[in-house]
Amino acid sequence: MITKSRRRRISASVRYVVLTTWAVVAFFPIYWMIATSFKPDTQWFAWPPVYFPHPPTLSNYLNVWFGAEQYAATQYAISSQKPLISLLNSTVIATASTLLAVLFGSVIAYGVSRYRILSETRMFQLLMLRMIPPIVIVAPLSLYYSALGLLDSMTGLILIYFLTTLPYAVWMTKSFIDEVPREIEQAAEILGATRWRTVFEIVLPLIRSGLVATFLFILILTWSEYLLALIVTKTQVTTLPIELSKYQGTTEGRVYGRQAALAVGITIPLMIVGLVIRRHLARGFSFGMVRR
Amino acid sequence: MARIELIGLSKSFGAVAAVKDLSLAIEDGEFVVLVGPSGCGKTTTLRMIAGFEDPSSGDIRIDGRSVNDLEPRDRGLGMVFQTHALFPHKTVAQNIEFGLRMKKMPAVERVLRVREVADMVRIAHLLEKMPSQCSGGEAQRVALARTLVTSPSTFLLDEPLSSLDAKLRRELRAECDRLHQALKRTFIYVTHDQEEAMTLADRIIVMRAGEIVQIGSPMEIYSDPVNHFVADFFGSPSMNLIVGEIVQMNGVVRFRSSPFELTLPGHLGSVRIGPATLGIRPEHVGVMTGEGGDFRLAVRLVEPLGRDTLLYFDPGSERAFVAVSKGLNMADVKVGAPMALSLDPQRLYLFGADGKRIGRGPTQLVD
Amino acid sequence: MSVAAISAGAIPLKPSPRERSQQRAIRRFRWSILGPLIALLAFVLMPVLFLQLYFSFHQWTVYLGSWWEAEYVGLDLFQEVLTDPRFGWAVVRSLLFATGSTIGCFLIGFALAYLMHKPFRGQAVYYIIFILPMLTVPVVIAYTAEMLLYQSGPLNDLISRISGYEFKPMWLTNPHIALPTIMLLEIWNWTPFSFIILLAGLSAIPKEPIEAAEILGASKWRVFWEVQLPLLRPVIFLALVLRFLEAMAEFPKTWALLQGGPGTATETLPVYIFLTTWQYFEISKGAVMSYIVMLLMIAIVLFAIRLLRREKRTLDALYGSAAAAPEAPA
Repeated sequence: MITKSRRRRISASVRYVVLTTWAVVAFFPIYWMIATSFKPDTQWFAWPPVYFPHPPTLSNYLNVWFGAEQYAATQYAISSQKPLISLLNSTVIATASTLLAVLFGSVIAYGVSRYRILSETRMFQLLMLRMIPPIVIVAPLSLYYSALGLLDSMTGLILIYFLTTLPYAVWMTKSFIDEVPREIEQAAEILGATRWRTVFEIVLPLIRSGLVATFLFILILTWSEYLLALIVTKTQVTTLPIELSKYQGTTEGRVYGRQAALAVGITIPLMIVGLVIRRHLARGFSFGMVRR
Repeated sequence: MARIELIGLSKSFGAVAAVKDLSLAIEDGEFVVLVGPSGCGKTTTLRMIAGFEDPSSGDIRIDGRSVNDLEPRDRGLGMVFQTHALFPHKTVAQNIEFGLRMKKMPAVERVLRVREVADMVRIAHLLEKMPSQCSGGEAQRVALARTLVTSPSTFLLDEPLSSLDAKLRRELRAECDRLHQALKRTFIYVTHDQEEAMTLADRIIVMRAGEIVQIGSPMEIYSDPVNHFVADFFGSPSMNLIVGEIVQMNGVVRFRSSPFELTLPGHLGSVRIGPATLGIRPEHVGVMTGEGGDFRLAVRLVEPLGRDTLLYFDPGSERAFVAVSKGLNMADVKVGAPMALSLDPQRLYLFGADGKRIGRGPTQLVD
Repeated sequence: MSVAAISAGAIPLKPSPRERSQQRAIRRFRWSILGPLIALLAFVLMPVLFLQLYFSFHQWTVYLGSWWEAEYVGLDLFQEVLTDPRFGWAVVRSLLFATGSTIGCFLIGFALAYLMHKPFRGQAVYYIIFILPMLTVPVVIAYTAEMLLYQSGPLNDLISRISGYEFKPMWLTNPHIALPTIMLLEIWNWTPFSFIILLAGLSAIPKEPIEAAEILGASKWRVFWEVQLPLLRPVIFLALVLRFLEAMAEFPKTWALLQGGPGTATETLPVYIFLTTWQYFEISKGAVMSYIVMLLMIAIVLFAIRLLRREKRTLDALYGSAAAAPEAPA
């Protein structure tokens, strides 16, 4: 018979060993990216590898994000892409499409939750629609878009992002609306409130944090999307992930430090956003399979 | 066989002390009820006995052996939870036989035992059903059966009737009693309902704020409360408690309060003068129309219950002064009417400013 | 009333005038919201699917003329694709990639979730670190991986130092380990997803049946196998299904890092379709492949829907959920 205290101690040690191992595995690449972004060019390919930049430098950031010519390494081609413009594009496109998705998504979600305007089967079908690989439609899509004049435009990308993230928006907001008891709405109704008033004054404030979480989550999805952006944008419009791959392409992928600086700029905002909403992620991902 | 001792048991959750230095001995075969208001530490104590909480300090011994370091499964106990805690994905029969499977009892024997126990709690017709198809009362019976079948030496019950409606509660309460008589095993029962405690217990352990306030038989607890809290907690309707003071006038010791004044009977012994609270149970207050009695009060509310009538009087404070009258004789008394009340002198209690009983206890516990 | 649960055996009554107008209002709401969106979806998708179908039957060589002048070739293209061994291999690779990475994500995610579902010191910090990989951008992962997995790079260096052996596999240039490499990348990237879902599922299991099992004599293993696992089924299916589908569609990491190489070692379906359409400019062939893949995925998705619906129904039944109202007409 193993005693409680012994079992407790063994469990704890196993737990810490396993969790710490994976924590190192999970964090190391991110650390490497950040570290490399601060490395001077002599340390990019050093062997044995340099784990901590000495001395750390901001030249990568200054060159990549602000086009500061004097920091460009002389033997490498200076990329003439403008990350700051891509940053702006990415922000606008992501924000616009996410706003639309959450707006329409929550209205539909309300209808599904309270009035079942979509059956359970349809809801799952909606979710699965999103699971069809985008690759299968990108070719004719670009042709169609070009005919419509939507190719290489922000509108075109916003439209397609809106349609592809709508399923998530509906599912996530529905789970939050489901948690508001119907009785509260009925109480408001008896007290004389119209439906719109109930929704705006009672229901929405109660799911505020859920809505924010849904918004931020979909923002992450659209911000980091690659394939559709690749197809729909050409020269006028670029999003950050495309910017990064263009950078990689024109510099033959050798300017690790610069790439890392660009990568950090793209990733850190996302991570911060994700950490802010981390408590809501579980709810958003459950899709009805977790009992509340 | 199964003597349980708690020695200096304490449990703190962070800064909150849920149980403070609790010591108790529970004899084999006893039906012991831990009763008290929410947060008094009764459930925590039970869970420490079961092994689901670790004591911050102190010792738990079963049959002289310290079990602090044993897992719940190795302590030989059985437990019934407040929410039936049945396995939702297994049938009733599978739920019941679970403990037997853990003991590696062969299937044939298991079926027999399950049947036996199911008949004992009268749920044989539910064996193939799923827990979600059972009503609250049925589910609790299944929970009982599940624990019975493993023949533990001691049964722990954590507010098993709280989630049931009044009628079911009475039914299952009787069931628990019946089982205890039949099995003669130790039952440790936790509840906040004083009625359950009074009806089921051999011994009641009253707890408050992590400590034991009084231990005794239901009779002792009811008739001889050790302080204000116990007196108030037990009995329905609650004991009337009138705040006032003990004064001495012309050599006579009297109790003075705003609704009335009376001379304290001699059998209470010598008491100090000063602030005090007088206690008298509603069933020991006599009500008469017309003249007489110890004092008069106006009627605030009349509740005819059938077997008794409850009369609420206005003593000049928020809390009513309650009297119980047998039958429905007083049922049509008008609200506002003044009536004569007399207090049975043998049944008076006095509590000091600190809540503790003062004066001698009743000379007899029974009417 | 479409929302109230209708008790079994109730005779359906004719709806009262108030109910009728309520139903009409609901219908109006439904179509005023869903209508425009369905129209939009149709507006975007229909022409796209039509074009795709058109190209599947008409050979369009881009530089020879405009697309509406393409030549009708009947089922020739389908034949070409279905007999193309490279396509077959792409299918195999995609399935391997999806299955392997899904299982990896699941096993690791489950282990992490199990170790994290009861509170302990430092838990919050671990949680934050564990979800970070999912919050990165796939392209970024690809380029960071390139830096890390370079033969004379930090990963090999670290492992060599820890193990004492000289560990220098060519992660990115050895065709035999390239596919496992991107599978490992996928697992690194998406384990947090499985982790979060499984953790939510584990935490949702009520505490008392578990304690009841413990006091009835079940060991930790028994509790897991008999009580926790069965109640986790819906969540497990969800984690597996969603991950599998997304893994079949994975493009950015594979493309950005290896472009399907070395050679064709990591040429999954999305990569191969991309190559065919945008590098070889065989639009029609790409269209056929897209169509076949789409049909394949739809079949898998329909199966997945059936599975998930069944699990949801079991979950509702287990907990006697009052919310399990009957199906409204679609």
